[in-house]
Amino acid sequence: MIETKQLKKVFRSSDIETVALAGINLRVEEGEFVSVMGPSGCGKTTLLNLLGMIDTATSGNYRFMGKDVFQLSEKQITRMRKQNIGFVFQNFNLIEELSILENIELPLIYQGVKKSERKKRVMEVIDRLEITHRKDLLPVQLSGGQQQRVAVARAIVTCPRLLLADEPTGNLDSMHGEEVMNILDELNKEGMTIVMVTHSHHDASYSRRIVHLFDGQIINENLNRI
Amino acid sequence: MWGSFFRMGFRILVRQRKYFLLNLVGLSIGIVAFVFIYLYVENALYYDRSWKNYPHIFRVNETYSTGGKEENMALTPYLLSNKLKDNFPGIIESTRLFFTDPSDKNDVSSVNFQGKMYDIPNLTIGDARIFKIFNYRFTEGNPDSCLLKPNSMVISVAMKQKIFGKNFALGEKLKTSIRTYTVTGVFDRKNRPSHLDFDAVISTNSLDKLEQKQLNTNWFWMNCYTYIELADSVDAGNLMRRINYLTDTAIGHYIKKQNFKIGGYIHLSLQPIQDIHFSQELLYDSHSNINITYLYIFIIVAFFILLMASINYVNFATARSLKRAREIGVRKVIGAFRKQLMVQFISESLIITFSAFILSLSLVELMIPAFNNLVNRQITLVDSLFSGSGLVFGFLLIAFMLLLALFSGSFPAFVISSLEPVEVLGGRGVVFKGKKPYSFTAIGLRKFLVVIQYFVAIGVITSTFIIFAQIHYVKNLPLGFVKKNIVVVNRPADTSFRGRVKGFVEALKSDSAIEQVATASNLPGYLIGKLLLRTGDSSSAHLQTMNGFFVGYHYFDVLKIPFVAGKDFSSFKKNDSTEYFILNQTAVKSLRLEHPLGSFLYTPSAKKGLVVGVVKDFKFSSLHQKVEPLVFVLSPHFVQYVVLRINPAKRHEALSHLQTVWGKFNKGYTLYYTFLDNKLDSLYRSDQKMLSLFSYFSLFVLLISALGLFGLSSFLIEQRTREISIRKVLGGSEKQIVLMLVKEYVALVLVAGILVSPVVYFFTKKWLSSFAYHIHLNVCYFVAGIGLVLLIAFVTVLLQALFMVRKRLAEALKYE
Ligand SMILES: Nc1ncnc2c1ncn2[C@@H]1O[C@H](COP(=O)(O)OP(=O)(O)OP(=O)(O)O)[C@@H](O)[C@H]1O
Ligand SMILES: [Mg+2]
Repeated sequence: MIETKQLKKVFRSSDIETVALAGINLRVEEGEFVSVMGPSGCGKTTLLNLLGMIDTATSGNYRFMGKDVFQLSEKQITRMRKQNIGFVFQNFNLIEELSILENIELPLIYQGVKKSERKKRVMEVIDRLEITHRKDLLPVQLSGGQQQRVAVARAIVTCPRLLLADEPTGNLDSMHGEEVMNILDELNKEGMTIVMVTHSHHDASYSRRIVHLFDGQIINENLNRI
Repeated sequence: MWGSFFRMGFRILVRQRKYFLLNLVGLSIGIVAFVFIYLYVENALYYDRSWKNYPHIFRVNETYSTGGKEENMALTPYLLSNKLKDNFPGIIESTRLFFTDPSDKNDVSSVNFQGKMYDIPNLTIGDARIFKIFNYRFTEGNPDSCLLKPNSMVISVAMKQKIFGKNFALGEKLKTSIRTYTVTGVFDRKNRPSHLDFDAVISTNSLDKLEQKQLNTNWFWMNCYTYIELADSVDAGNLMRRINYLTDTAIGHYIKKQNFKIGGYIHLSLQPIQDIHFSQELLYDSHSNINITYLYIFIIVAFFILLMASINYVNFATARSLKRAREIGVRKVIGAFRKQLMVQFISESLIITFSAFILSLSLVELMIPAFNNLVNRQITLVDSLFSGSGLVFGFLLIAFMLLLALFSGSFPAFVISSLEPVEVLGGRGVVFKGKKPYSFTAIGLRKFLVVIQYFVAIGVITSTFIIFAQIHYVKNLPLGFVKKNIVVVNRPADTSFRGRVKGFVEALKSDSAIEQVATASNLPGYLIGKLLLRTGDSSSAHLQTMNGFFVGYHYFDVLKIPFVAGKDFSSFKKNDSTEYFILNQTAVKSLRLEHPLGSFLYTPSAKKGLVVGVVKDFKFSSLHQKVEPLVFVLSPHFVQYVVLRINPAKRHEALSHLQTVWGKFNKGYTLYYTFLDNKLDSLYRSDQKMLSLFSYFSLFVLLISALGLFGLSSFLIEQRTREISIRKVLGGSEKQIVLMLVKEYVALVLVAGILVSPVVYFFTKKWLSSFAYHIHLNVCYFVAGIGLVLLIAFVTVLLQALFMVRKRLAEALKYE
């Protein structure tokens, strides 16, 4: 599903140049569950952004579902993303003017799903993440952990083929973290491909494979033994 | 403290050029419009208040009633002035000025100096005492004695400069085709805004002796404006009663002596001189008069423009400060006091308002000649703004700027700096104490302010559309006669033209480019004589004042006025015993004639006239009035104009033929001619002026509201960058997102449009009702007004939205 070759990302500002990713070669097969680990600032978020086509690489090669991403137009990328990818951001990125329910519903609206169907699917994920009684509140009225669960709900409501999650349990206590991980595990078993950034070895243990990043490079890939 | 804050303010403004420019331009446009309207209004209110004794100066107006119909006019008989001065010691001064129609020229209206001709736009005949009341400053000559001698002429400084340049004018000779005048004075019109707008005055003594004698006995020859100056102690109302008593008696004697069979009366009234500029209902009044309602509308528009500019300004400042909310939160944590933050904002604000003030005054100074040209005034910024009442305005304007700076600086500072730092920095958006998301109230307020802007913009634009449509309608309304390709030639001033006229007309006809020629004293759109007619010889007969057109043969042929009964004058010869009349349909109705053809009508001196034809009603005066009764009197020898219908394809040939024939018949006299359609258009000059002023208002208002929207939407959309990016990542297409952004503004325009339409309807309906013939308001004008504003709003927001949507996603989504 994902194949990158020598993917590089350099941030240039007027005087300094930061190499966030220095040639990443990564393959993720359909149905895999991959964790990305590494110290702060090593380029994890940058990698997810590139994989999710939110950002463009400085150089290298990226094929997503057999297509060369760099050859796609802006429109095609939008369509590709809309149909296949769900995001959980490190900073949640919920829309402050919309209620929880509306936030979760939004991707379905953009996919053109009918209203009745939308309702059904939103209620499903809300139930699954235990935020039912808060669905009419605004994001600012939730705690960090609750916002995180909303972000997860919004990402999976479309049943994407690829889920990119940036520390989806970062703000959750162990009990709620466990629940989210169980959901991700279930989704993976149902066939969803997942790439997840995490600092927690426990969470990483849910995945089949762990990629260790350090200073923009993959230093180690190991398969989890179950 | 302030010094360092000003320095910091400058640095911030330099860095935020877009914000600075937007504010500067928006505010300056607003002030420029406001100052111009102020100058205009101030000038209008100052009309005729610069005379040294203005509270005691009055014009004598006249109500003239015959046949049951009253007519109010500004004209009085020539002899009145002296009668008043001689009989009432309370009248310190009285003077008179001849009525002239500056748009109706003949060769006396231009003078010859050293072989070159100079046109005098408004030449009149005045009494020797005129400058005793109207104390113009004289640059040459003596105001008290300049008009005593025959053939004296006093000219304005502008005329003097045109003719003599830098040289002195006193004693120089100016020639017209019939006389030679000596310049005896030069007066300065500067700072004397007045309904009097003559460029030169000839002494009344220049009139020939016989004419003066007639003028001095005739009570029914209304051709002069009479002005009086009263002593301080005199009560105008009481004086008026006594004056009317005198004139009633005098007129009674006069009527008896002349053996008039006339019913009716003349009633005189006094009008304070400063009210003249706004008087609208008098006949033969100054053409520079304005409707005071227009003035009120201007004032309202001025305040709206200023309000809009200020709203924009406060809006920008607030929107921008919200962007800085986090920065301010940090500053507070670092230890800034609220007062310091306020000072910071206010000093930035002061820099902007002060720059705008300087810029706009410079712009006004630059544009004032064009403005004067547009409104036909002589306004200078220095005189109006830095002296007398202008000083107060200047002071108020500065005070307003300071207040605006203070408010627009402190409002955002107050809102933002009152936020708790923990709320701003908590990463949960900006929140009010009551946990109400701040952005909601702010958006609500700003939406309201935007609606106000659209309200004004749509209001002014829709009104402009309606005014435009009405003027277009008036200009193109079928008048019932042909106005195109009609050339009106003014007769030369010499009295012997009478004998040449026949030959002149025949010679004109000899070229086929001229289709038909007639002579006349009256034409549609020109001054109209009044005639009193009765249906029988007895005093019980029905009496009616009518508009009278004195015309020669072929008149109806030239103007293609259709007949409904009878025929034109061609088979009748003018003789002493009988007049020949042709009536219009309204006249037939108002005289209650059942069989008009062949019936006789009688003039006050019991002369009888035979009705030989009835023409279809045609619109012979301004379309502000309905068609009135009209009688044509056959008078082939009474010629003011020679009227030509020319072949439009041979226009050039026709005019050059006219020139040649004129030269042959009227050697030494200048040819003056106009096209009838131009003259008719000039009837709507004040409406036209209104239209052009309104067009400028629309432009200003549109500009300001577009600018406001541009700035505001750019700030608002910028603020939503993150939200827009999230939507994009979640699968929103560019089109969807742009549409979403644009839709909000479109809704605001619609709301404003719905609110303002009834207001516009009310005012324009009132204006339209001042026309006897007018368009009917329909929904199209309103749709067009809303549509135009909608389009502008759409484009402004669209540009912003497109730009924002194209921005890089990853940047916007970054953890803050
Ligand atoms: N827009 C940017 N401009 C300049 N440098 C950037 C930008 N975004 C990221 N970087 C740099 O790229 C490097 C990688 O950043 P990234 O956000 O990917 O780290 P991370 O691994 O996600 O860290 P964390 O675990 O703290 O979230 C960092 O050194 C960061 O400073
Ligand atoms: Mg990160």
